[in-house]
This record gives sequence, C-alpha cells and structure tokens, in this order.
Amino acid sequence: MDALMGFDPRRVVKFAGLGALLLFLCWQHVQATRIGYRVEVTRRTARALRSRVADLRLKVDETISPAALAARANTKLGMIPATPDSLRSLSGGESSAVGLLPRLWARLPIALPLRS
Amino acid sequence: MDLGLRLTVAASLSLAPLLPLGARLAYLQILRHDSLSTRASGEFSRVAQEAAPRADLLDRHGKVLARSIPSWSCFVDKAMVKDPAAFGAKLAPLLKMPAGDIARKTRAAYRFAWLKTRMSQEEHQKLVEARVEGLGLVPTQERVYPNGDLARGVLGLVGAEGRGLAGLELSQDKRLSGRARRLEVIRDGQGRSIYKNVADAGDMPEPLHLTLDRTAQYLAEEALREGGEKGQFKEGIVAIQDPNNGEILAMAAWPPNPLRNPLVQDAFEPGSTFKVVTALAAVDDRVVLPDELFSGEGGKWQVVPGVTITDHEPEGDMNLAQIMERSSNIGIAKVADRVGAARFYRLARAFGFGAKTGAPLPGESSGELKPMSDLTKVGLAASSYGYGLAVSPLQMLGAYSALANGGILWEPKLIADGKPPVKVRRVASERAVLEISAMLEGVVDRGTAGSARIPGYRAAGKTGTARKIDPLTRKYSTSAYTASFAGFLPASAPRWTILVILHEPRGAYYGGLVAAPIFSRLGSRLLTLSGLPPDRPAAPSLTARR
Repeated sequence: MDALMGFDPRRVVKFAGLGALLLFLCWQHVQATRIGYRVEVTRRTARALRSRVADLRLKVDETISPAALAARANTKLGMIPATPDSLRSLSGGESSAVGLLPRLWARLPIALPLRS
Repeated sequence: MDLGLRLTVAASLSLAPLLPLGARLAYLQILRHDSLSTRASGEFSRVAQEAAPRADLLDRHGKVLARSIPSWSCFVDKAMVKDPAAFGAKLAPLLKMPAGDIARKTRAAYRFAWLKTRMSQEEHQKLVEARVEGLGLVPTQERVYPNGDLARGVLGLVGAEGRGLAGLELSQDKRLSGRARRLEVIRDGQGRSIYKNVADAGDMPEPLHLTLDRTAQYLAEEALREGGEKGQFKEGIVAIQDPNNGEILAMAAWPPNPLRNPLVQDAFEPGSTFKVVTALAAVDDRVVLPDELFSGEGGKWQVVPGVTITDHEPEGDMNLAQIMERSSNIGIAKVADRVGAARFYRLARAFGFGAKTGAPLPGESSGELKPMSDLTKVGLAASSYGYGLAVSPLQMLGAYSALANGGILWEPKLIADGKPPVKVRRVASERAVLEISAMLEGVVDRGTAGSARIPGYRAAGKTGTARKIDPLTRKYSTSAYTASFAGFLPASAPRWTILVILHEPRGAYYGGLVAAPIFSRLGSRLLTLSGLPPDRPAAPSLTARR
C-alpha cells in the first residue's frame, strides 16, 4: 500500500514522456492537416496560374501565327511578298579577305598601285 | 475481509459493465476493421484527378500546331435541383447562357447533364463563389489550334472526351494521351479539401514533332485559298515533300476540313502526270532511242478498231522528249506499246502505285492499279497516259520525289521521331531518271507547263488534265476535269517536290493553265524564303531591260 501511495520519480518521468509523446502526435496531426489545407489551396492556385500561362501562351502563338503576321504585314505595314528576282545576295560581292585585320584593310578607301 | 480483496471485488464490479463495451470495440476494431475503414474513408476522402494534357503537336522548327490548355466543364446533378427554372435563372448570367436552355437541359437529364464545357478559369471562379446547389465542376483539358485552320486536315480533331477523332490526333492518340494525376484528398466538415497524398503521379507525354514546316504549310494553303475563295475550282490540293528524305513539309487542301485529308484518303485519275512512268520504263530499258521519232498521227490514232486516241493539238513526228513536252497521248501510247504491259506494270508498282505508302494517317487509300491481265492493248494505252487507274496524291508526290532525287522512293515521313528515313527501293537506274528529269525541265521551259517557270531558277515537272467520271452516268464527263501539276525545284539540286491538284476548275481546265501557276507562285515564295541562289543564268534580254 505504501508503494502504491508513494512518490516514484521513475514512474512520473514515464508518464510525462508518454504525455509529451501524445502531445507531439496531436501537434503533428494538426500540422499535417494545416499543411494539407495549404497544399490544396496552393494546388488550386497553381492550376489557376497554369491556366493563365496557357492562355497567354496561346495568345502569343495566335499572334505569331503566319496568317496573323501576314495580315499585319500587309494591312498595317503595307508589305508585299518578295519574289526571288527582287532579292540581291550581298555575300557574293564581299571581299574574300579572311580575318578581322584583312577585312578592315580591305574596307579602307586606299587604292594600292597595280603591278603591271 | 482483506483490503486488497475488497478493492479487487469493487473494481471488478464497477468495471464489469464495461466488458461488453470492450468486446464490441474489439469486434469493430479487429474483426470488421477493413470493411468499416473503407466505408469511413468513403465518407470523407476521395480521389481528385488532374486531367493530363495531350501532348503538343509541333512543326519541324518547334512551332506549336496544337496544344492543350486547362479548362473547366460544369454539369448539373438533377437530384439536387428542386426548381430547374430558378436554377437556370441563377446560372444564366454566370454561364452566359439563356436561362431557358439551362432549365431545359436540367429537366431533360436523367440525373446528370453537361451544361457548359471549355470554360475559363475566371468563369470557374465565379461559379465557385456563387455556390449553386446541384452544379458540379470538373477540370478538363481543351485542345486548341493557335494557327486556326492551318494543317487541320493533317492534325485532325479531338472529341469532347479528349480522344482523337481524325487525322494525327486519331492515329497518334495513344502517343499523345497522358495519364491523369490522381491525388487522395479528405474533406472536412465544411466540405473543404485537405491534401493527403499522391495516389498516381500520372504521365505527361512529350510533344510530338512533325516534319511539317508551318511556313511552307501556310504558303501552300495561301496558294490554294485565293482560287478557292473565288470559286475557281471545287476542291484543291497542294503538297510539298523534301525529295531527299521523303519528309512531308506541307499538306494543304481546300476547302479545309479537319475530318478529312484528301491527300491521303482520296484517289484520282492522274492523267498526263502519269506519263513519266511510261517514259521512264522506256528510257530505263533503252527501248526508245533519244532521237527516235514517233508519229503524232495528226492528233487522232486508232489503237484497235473502234478505239481512237486523240491529242488536244494535232502533232507530227516527235521524239520522247517532245512527246512529254507536248503531252501527246498518241505518242506515249506508242511508247507504252514498245515498253510492254509487264514492264509498265512492274515500274508502276515500283513507284508505289496501288499500295499504301505507310503514312501515319488514318484511312489511307492505296489507289487502284489495273492487274496486268487487264492491260490489253487498249488498257495499256489508256494507262500510259494516266487513265483507267487511280492514285493517291501522296503516291504521286512520292513518285515525283523519286524522279527528283535520282530514283530512290522514300516512305513519306510525317513524324520527326529521330529515326532515319525509310528507303523503300530504287525504282530505276540513275541514268534513266536523270534523262527523264531533263525532259521534265523541257516541259517547263518549252512545253505545256510554261506558266510553272520561275525567273532565275530551273524547275521541272509535268502537267496533267483528266476528265472526271460523272457519278450519274458512270461515264467520263465532258465538263468536269481534274487539273494537276507535279514538279520539283530547283532542278539543279531539288529541295522541294510540289504537287498541285485542282478538281473541277471553272473556265480554263488544263493543268498547265490552272495548276502550274500555283506551283510557280508557291515555288517562288519558297525560294525567296530559303534564299537559295539562282541556278539559271539570267537571259541576256532580261538583263538588258533591267
């Protein structure tokens, strides 16, 4: 009976540990639920943002579609399709000099005396 | 009595009523645990699905041709709606639909009915805030085509359930479809969701790259649209292929129809564009010499008693090149007679006529090539200039690509999957193919396809004009024609094979007059965009005028 009514520090530590564990488990459960709510809200926000991004990308794609570009080029800028014979290739007329210094030298308006 | 015994008895007596409770608890927790647990989780937990987007369809340069975007659909649960009229009136401004329509749909539903699909995020948000009883919202994916009708015959169509119904969307449905992500969520007392875990991570398919070139496709459709909108023909087809590997760059049809791709699904009597088969057989087997002359018979020739072939112009003596340039039916029939039915048939088969090409599109036509037993003298003569047989536009495109690349028939390639192009076979010797290519250049320079010329560039091709069969009389019509032109450019090093087919052109109906100009216009645009240098020196007179 004395042992039953007496104060046993080891038993108190055990009960306190058990209580702390229970509190921790409760806290963990509450946190998990709270995070679960936040994940769900974030998931919805992400979906809304993905939807917005998709809408914007669609607008970009529609804006740069060939038909839209051609219509704008024609009506707003007054451009007409070029024909192959209206193009002049500049690459053929360029100096054959290779490298930076030779190209700069070739551009200088200095006429070298011709050897004849 | 001993204190301990008394305490034990007192405790036992006070705990005795709890024994049945414990037994019941053990029964519920242990014996019926699984069934009750499932029932309980069904009450407050559910699986939420996030619809997987279909894979994007991209052109060869990564430009988007088809894309999936998130959207919402809403439905009515009739069992939860007490007054359909009030339900309709409440939803009408939110759904932007007449209240009567909503009420009618609700009344007509057995329990469930879709009210609106393809709703935006904003519309969804408004409906969530409105908290209308009996209304449900489901996340879905909407298929969009940012370029409008561009290449719709090739791309096809997706149904409301997200399944492909036509075109590549149908043939590649499995490859394009993703697997929905599944999330387990639980609901609290207010109906709010709490994320639990990911049940299935799902599968997001990679975009599908096509060999189509968006710009070339646009140019091909534009080339057709002008004439189509003016009613210059009933139906039109333009296709572009890279002759060096069989890649399809454009497939255009007028009028545009996402449910049908006439380039693959239709077959037509080609007319004179088929003469290249006869000519190639003759040159490959050396049964006709380059300067050997055939009589044009003044434009009329009786093949057998009662069967006469005519030319559109009376012709005299012609060699093979001139037969091609003037598109003489009589001349080519005589050449076919020299070639023989067996060789002609073998070469036509080698070109892939009468067999499916293997294009990854649904409903491909194999065309119709007469069996060799039907190639009598008359049958062979008619087949030599493209009558009495049917070919699909894709087969004809492949055949001219083989002529452009020196004689290799490639399997048409529409999906850029990184695999090397499939070489089907060599159709004829390179020598013979080069000779025919030179003849086809002559057709453009001196023959029936003058309007296919492009200043500064060498082009090669053949015109075709065929009478159509009148579906009522089952005889050749005297007013409905198929005009076509098949060719390639630049002839010095071909980069594009172009096929133009116009069904029932109004007014002028010769391929050289209506189809060849489209080839020229399209070829000119392609050359301009590519920046290829001219492969034909400018004519002196032109230079002087400039």
